[in-house]
Amino acid sequence: MTDTLFAFFIVLSLLLAVLSVTTPHLLRSVVYLMGVLVISAGLYLLIGAELLAGLQVLVYVGGIVVLLVIAVMLTQTEEITEDRAPTKKKILAALVSLAFFLVGAGTLIASPFKQDVVALKTDVSIAQIGLTFLDAGGRGYLLPFELISLLLLSVLIAGIVIARKENP
Amino acid sequence: MAHSLILWLIFSLALFAIGLYGFLTRRSAVGLLIAIELMLNAATVQFVVLGRRFHFADAANSLAAGSSNEKMIEGLIVSGLDGQIMAIFAMALAAAEVMIGLAILVMLFRELRTVDLNKINHLRH
Repeated sequence: MTDTLFAFFIVLSLLLAVLSVTTPHLLRSVVYLMGVLVISAGLYLLIGAELLAGLQVLVYVGGIVVLLVIAVMLTQTEEITEDRAPTKKKILAALVSLAFFLVGAGTLIASPFKQDVVALKTDVSIAQIGLTFLDAGGRGYLLPFELISLLLLSVLIAGIVIARKENP
Repeated sequence: MAHSLILWLIFSLALFAIGLYGFLTRRSAVGLLIAIELMLNAATVQFVVLGRRFHFADAANSLAAGSSNEKMIEGLIVSGLDGQIMAIFAMALAAAEVMIGLAILVMLFRELRTVDLNKINHLRH
C-alpha cells in the first residue's frame, strides 16, 4: 500500500513540476508549484515526519505560494502576459539539466547509498524536536535557532525598508 | 519500493533538475523565483530522507564481527531528528529568501514597469 502511494506521489509530483516550469502562464505555474509542495507534504507524512508535513503546508503553501500569487498579480504588464522562451534556449537548458541529472544519478547509483534503506515510521515526537531546538549542549541546535530568529527579523525589516514608497 | 533510499534520492534529484530547467528558461523574474522554490523543496526532501536512512550493511557487519559496542551500533541507526531540524531551517530560509526577492522585485517593477529579465540588464538606470 505504501509502495503504490509512493509511486503515485512520485509520478504526480514530477508531472506537476514539469508543467510548472514549462507553462507560459505564470499563475498556472504557481498553482502547479502548490501541487508539488502539497505532494511533498504527503511524502513527509509517508516517511514519518509529521511536524514537517504540517509546517510544509503552513509555511510553503500558506505563505510562499500566496506571496508568489500576489507578486504575479502585482507585476503584470500588458506587453508580457506570457513567458515563452526561444527554442534554442529551451533546448540548451534541457541539455544542461539533463546532463546534471545524469551525472548526479550516476554518482548516486555508484555510491554506497545503493543498499541503504529508509525507515517509514515516526520515531521523533514534536516535543523532542522542540527540546532539541532549545538544547545548548553538543547535539542541540540552540545557536542556529537564535540565528534564524535574527535572520527572519532582519528579513522582515529589510523587506519593509526596500519596498516602501519614498516620501517626496 | 518506498524503502529504497536510492529511489528517493533520484526523485529529489529529478525535481532539482526540473527546477534548474525552469531557472534557465524563465524570462520573468517571478517565474525564476518559482523555479528556485522548486529547487529548495527538492533539497529539503533530500534532507529529510537522508536523516532517516539505515545502513544495514554496516550494522550487520559489525554485529557479525562480534562487536558489542552498543554506542557504535546505535550510531549507525540514524534517528530522523537531525534531518527534520535541517528541513525546518531550510524552510525558514526559503521563506526569507522569497520575501527579500519579492521586495526587490516590487521595487524594481515600480521603477522600470517591467520584470522582463532580458530588459533588466543594467546596474543602474
